[in-house]
Amino acid sequence: MSDKLKEIINNQNKKDNLSISHSDDVVQLVGFVIGEEEYAVPILSIQEIIKPIEWTRVPQTPAYILGVFNLRGSVIPLIDLRVKFGLKAKKHNDETRFFVLKQGNEVAGFVIDRLTMALRIKKSDIGAAPDTVAGDDSMIDGVGKQEDRILTILKVNKLLERDF
Amino acid sequence: MDEFQEILQDFLVESFELIEQLDQDLVELESRPKDLELLNGIFRVAHTVKGASSFLNFDVLTHLTHHMEDVLNKARHGDLIIDANVMDVILESIDLMKALLVTIRDTSSDAGIEVGECVIKLDKVSGGTGDVETPVSVIPPVIEDTAVEEEELDYDNMSDDDVEAEIERLLAERQSQDKAKRAAKIAAGESVPEAPPEPIDEDEKPKEEPEQEAPVKAEPVKAPTPAPVTPEPVKDEDAKAAAPASRTPAIVEQTIRVDVKRLDHLMNLIGELVLAKNRLIKINDDVEERYEGEEFLEELNQVVSIVSLVTTDLQIAVMKTRMLPIGKVFNKFPRMIRDLTRELNKKMELELAGEDTELDKSIVEEIGDPLVHIIRNSCDHGIEMPAVRLAAGKPETGTITLKAYNEGNAIVIQIDDDGKGLDAEMLKNKSVEKGIITEKEADLMSDKEAFALIFKPGFSTAAAVTSVSGRGVGMDVVKTNIEKLNGIIDIESEIGKGTSLKLKIPLTLAIIQALLVGVQEEHYAIPLASVLETVRISKDEIYSVENRSVLRLRDEVLSLVHIGDIFEVERILDSSEYAYVVVLGLGSSKLGLIVDSLVGQEEIVIKSMGDYLAGIEGIAGATIRGDGGVTLIVDVAALMHMAKGVKSTSMIEDNSSSTKEKTKASDYTVMIVDDSKTDRMIMRKALEPLGLTLIDASDGQEALSILKQGDHNFDAMLVDIEMPRMDGYSLATEIKKYNRYKNLPLIAVTSRTGKSDRMRGVESGMVEYITKPYSADYLSSVVQRNVNFKSEFL
Repeated sequence: MSDKLKEIINNQNKKDNLSISHSDDVVQLVGFVIGEEEYAVPILSIQEIIKPIEWTRVPQTPAYILGVFNLRGSVIPLIDLRVKFGLKAKKHNDETRFFVLKQGNEVAGFVIDRLTMALRIKKSDIGAAPDTVAGDDSMIDGVGKQEDRILTILKVNKLLERDF
Repeated sequence: MDEFQEILQDFLVESFELIEQLDQDLVELESRPKDLELLNGIFRVAHTVKGASSFLNFDVLTHLTHHMEDVLNKARHGDLIIDANVMDVILESIDLMKALLVTIRDTSSDAGIEVGECVIKLDKVSGGTGDVETPVSVIPPVIEDTAVEEEELDYDNMSDDDVEAEIERLLAERQSQDKAKRAAKIAAGESVPEAPPEPIDEDEKPKEEPEQEAPVKAEPVKAPTPAPVTPEPVKDEDAKAAAPASRTPAIVEQTIRVDVKRLDHLMNLIGELVLAKNRLIKINDDVEERYEGEEFLEELNQVVSIVSLVTTDLQIAVMKTRMLPIGKVFNKFPRMIRDLTRELNKKMELELAGEDTELDKSIVEEIGDPLVHIIRNSCDHGIEMPAVRLAAGKPETGTITLKAYNEGNAIVIQIDDDGKGLDAEMLKNKSVEKGIITEKEADLMSDKEAFALIFKPGFSTAAAVTSVSGRGVGMDVVKTNIEKLNGIIDIESEIGKGTSLKLKIPLTLAIIQALLVGVQEEHYAIPLASVLETVRISKDEIYSVENRSVLRLRDEVLSLVHIGDIFEVERILDSSEYAYVVVLGLGSSKLGLIVDSLVGQEEIVIKSMGDYLAGIEGIAGATIRGDGGVTLIVDVAALMHMAKGVKSTSMIEDNSSSTKEKTKASDYTVMIVDDSKTDRMIMRKALEPLGLTLIDASDGQEALSILKQGDHNFDAMLVDIEMPRMDGYSLATEIKKYNRYKNLPLIAVTSRTGKSDRMRGVESGMVEYITKPYSADYLSSVVQRNVNFKSEFL
């Protein structure tokens, strides 16, 4: 088993080395889907990704805040990104995940429809956010170009910022 | 450098501790000027600070403390009588010393604070035998003390040694003058028969004198001084001075310093433990239920109780390490009263009791400001001018009593004054005038409610605004702060007799006792400290007055609000005929909170919800329950505020059901609940020809969660009785609790044919009872009948 694992890892490393020459120029992201769009956040900002668990509603909050949940003894807010991005709320299913993002002392869980993959993108393949949505207030950090698709890279600090 | 920093830290910690005690000692000293114990104690503080600061090269501080030491030394030896004027100078120098220490703490240097003037004053005090502020020296420098003044002005430019030398010289000179003067006066026969003990003039006199010697020793100095010192010596000060000193030597305590952060961390860990304990107890209960009578249960029970006992003890032990005596806060008040006495020209005395009562550190830090406001208020508004008091037949000196004591899980701080008391009518009129309340409200108010008006923002009863109080802030700040600590304020007052204010504050903030209440499917925790009582009422006991619900509780009218209205709880469950009212009391206001159920009392650990959700109105925090779920903690203060703006809706039945017109056969939805796959298939086969939408569930639990999700609008359910996890009867009972499904037809499909089974079925709300085996046609017809199936779809 471990031999097989090694082989796989070696293969992966080879591939990585082939495709990307200098790791400095690369950002590692984790992609996920909300509605029809694919988004990504830097891998280091993710504390963990868990399957949906029970949460408690918190009154007097906007609709996109589902409530709070217990993550091993810490009480953490849960935000539905679908609702936050103006989509209709959807029942959680087998693919739904809670993305727990962390920056500094700020931690929050985000509900996403589906995980895609961890990916490495060359910095040169990341374009600036479109002018119409750029700026400090924008949640969009940039747009990553892959061979066949485009993904929106989100600003973690904006996601974790309270805006109500 | 590090070593220096370390020493500096120790020095600062020690100095601040010393100073804290100092203020109180000094004020006490003023009333008992001859108390050697006190004097020695104060002298030692100045001495210690001087010693350490000179070692650390804080020249300004050394310079100041050195002179303080001189003055105190004189007083200690009986060469100087501490009267109000001398005390002012000493207090001023202490304030300077504090300022210097703060500067040192912040900048590591003692530059930037001018001590020269104070040093001059100190020097003058220690210089002449009591002729401190004779008319001549009111214009300070010129006439008498020219030499000293010049020297003093130069101090900053002189080297330390020179200064010291100069001071030594001056001191010697003064002392010899004093000696001469005193000798002359003794010779003139003014002094007591007994000659003063010899060592008075020697600096090296042993510190510890037998106490009873103090009055005798001081006598000769005092006798000649009154005239020059103060125009009119204060009578009662003298009287009190005669009282024997009653200070017992402090017992040396064995302590170590621990960083507060470590204690906080420890407290957090205990919090986790408490949660785990709660969980363990819950599991134990479940296990007990399931394996009733098993032998291992007893053992498990024992372990659980030991763990829970030890956890509780541990929690108390750690809580105790965070406890500080409230004396730490009380200590600053004697000084404050003293200052106010002079500022307001009133005669007041402060009596302290229960300084040893302990409170959590965080509360001790918070409680100081409210107490300052309350005491200032008592001084300014409560205690009358001496003349007024005399005219009213009261002692000229007003008394303010500050005491603390434990009462159950809370600490009570009581502030009494024997002043003029609160006038309920006057308070009402004033409030109406200021538009705080309406006239109608004023008429309905009890005296107690009227007293509570002083806590309203923008309220001030003082006719004239003074620098002490009456600016309209203050008492409402008190209320806010006390409420922040989950405290309760109680006022009692009698006109002419005085006012008594009680603050009841929970001992700790991190772990609290809470009442858990249920509303629909949600639970909330209410801090037990704010719960006065709970009552069960039937709905027709609730009256509506001006669009607000009220309840008559004994001889009081209590305004009611439904927790569901405040927290926007969706009403899924059918509300029962009875409701529970949790009577909340906070500060001086009361509110009845209607809840659907009372879950119980539990010890909960307050957890913050992070910055993202901080400051949600009505929610003070969250806690994790035994089952791992999160329960929100109600912020009672905010809730009371919110209750004012809430219209009652929850108690009104709402019957708008969303029944959509059926346009095709598949609009009808039927759920089949059976644990056997074969049975489900048989039912499916029987119903499929009708073209209904069919949903399967394999037991009661699953059926219930499908219902809760609300994806489908069910028209009927076929329910098996014998099922794992939740049987058909329980399922039916659960379903009937939901408003939405109250009228959902439940059809039992079972092989149980007994009469009692049928009866149970009816009791739990089943409308039909089909026994297995059955024909497909029969099943189909029963379902058609129950869903009102339209024949045109066939």
